[in-house]
Parts: sequence; C-alpha cells; structure tokens
Amino acid sequence: MSKIAIIVASEKMDKLFPAVTLATTAAISGWDAEMFFTFWGLLALKKGYQPSGVTFDYKAYEGKLTEAIASGTIPNWKTVLEQGLATKRIKIHACSTTLGMFDLKQEDLESFVDSIAGAATFLSKAKGSDVSLFIS
Amino acid sequence: MNADITVDAKFKSCPGPLIALAEAVGKAQPGQVVKLLATDPAAPSDVKEWAAGVGHKLLATEKSGNVYEIYIGVVG
Repeated sequence: MSKIAIIVASEKMDKLFPAVTLATTAAISGWDAEMFFTFWGLLALKKGYQPSGVTFDYKAYEGKLTEAIASGTIPNWKTVLEQGLATKRIKIHACSTTLGMFDLKQEDLESFVDSIAGAATFLSKAKGSDVSLFIS
Repeated sequence: MNADITVDAKFKSCPGPLIALAEAVGKAQPGQVVKLLATDPAAPSDVKEWAAGVGHKLLATEKSGNVYEIYIGVVG
C-alpha cells in the first residue's frame, strides 16, 4: 500500500487546495494519506472554516482563484477533502502545540479530525511514506 | 464505443474529473463501461495512472473537439 504524508502549515486557499488535492487523489487511488495540520494550517480545521484569501505575496492572483472556485471550475477545498475522507484512507492530525497556542480545544475542530498529535506521533504515522510534503 | 454510464466533468480542473470518475466507477458493476467527458488536458494521463493503480481497465481515449472521451472498463 502506497502512502503520502503531508504537513499543512498554512490556512490560505492557495495552500489548502493543493494539499487536499494530493491527499484526496492519493486516497481515491488506494493510497493511505496522513495529514498533519500545524501552525496557521491548524486554523483550517476550525469548525466551518473557509479561507478568506490567498498568501499575501500572491494577492494579485486572488481574483482568478476565487472566480474559478465560484464558477465551479476549481472545487472548494473542503469538498475535495470530504470526497477523500469518504474513502476512510485519509487521517487528519491536529498539532497539539498550536492547538494550545490558539487556546483551542478538540471540540472547536471539525469532527473529521482523527487525533490531536505531537511530532513523535505524526512521525510514526508518516514513517515509510512514499511521498512526503511540507506545504506552507 | 458504447458506455453504460457517462460522467460529464467538462470544464472541471484537476482533481474534479478524477474524483467524479472514481465515484461513478465505485458505484458501477464489474464489466460495465464508464465514459468520462473532460476538457482538463491532464485528464487522459491522470485517468491512465489512476486506472493502472486501482486495477480498472483503460479501454480507449478519444478526442472530439476539445473534449476527451475516456472509457474505463470496471473490474470487479
């Protein structure tokens, strides 16, 4: 069984979309996917979260992306993630350190979060991955 | 080529066409043919790799205008 491990360290639209695209595509291809949301990426796991924009450096292109999402050419990031989660092959881990930093509790996060994890736990899940990415 | 099920994912970018195809193939019966309509230029290659990985059969890829017609044979 192939496996992908992705660390998501940004809550911006232009970072979340490629992260969930790769995780979901892996999952529907029969791979396991381990995702670790840390630092600003953790904010994306808050209940009902939708990104307000793209990374500052790429603001000039934000309109292109929001138009594509509004027209349905590019799917919403959470829809893509939910389609992957339906396979049961994606596991979502929330970083315990940043959870504490933001004064958040597990109940503040989406119900699809599988665990509150530290670095050692995520490393044990990610160990042996065929593809590993840090997206920030 | 005749298809039992047609999935229209025209004007959808990656990963939309593949997600739609995988969902339809998942619901189809072994032996059925699923046709994907896509305009994403990555679709033929993505579908080929996906089918090889999950064990379904890529039967044909045709192009009509700017629309790809990709036929998958569902393997049980």
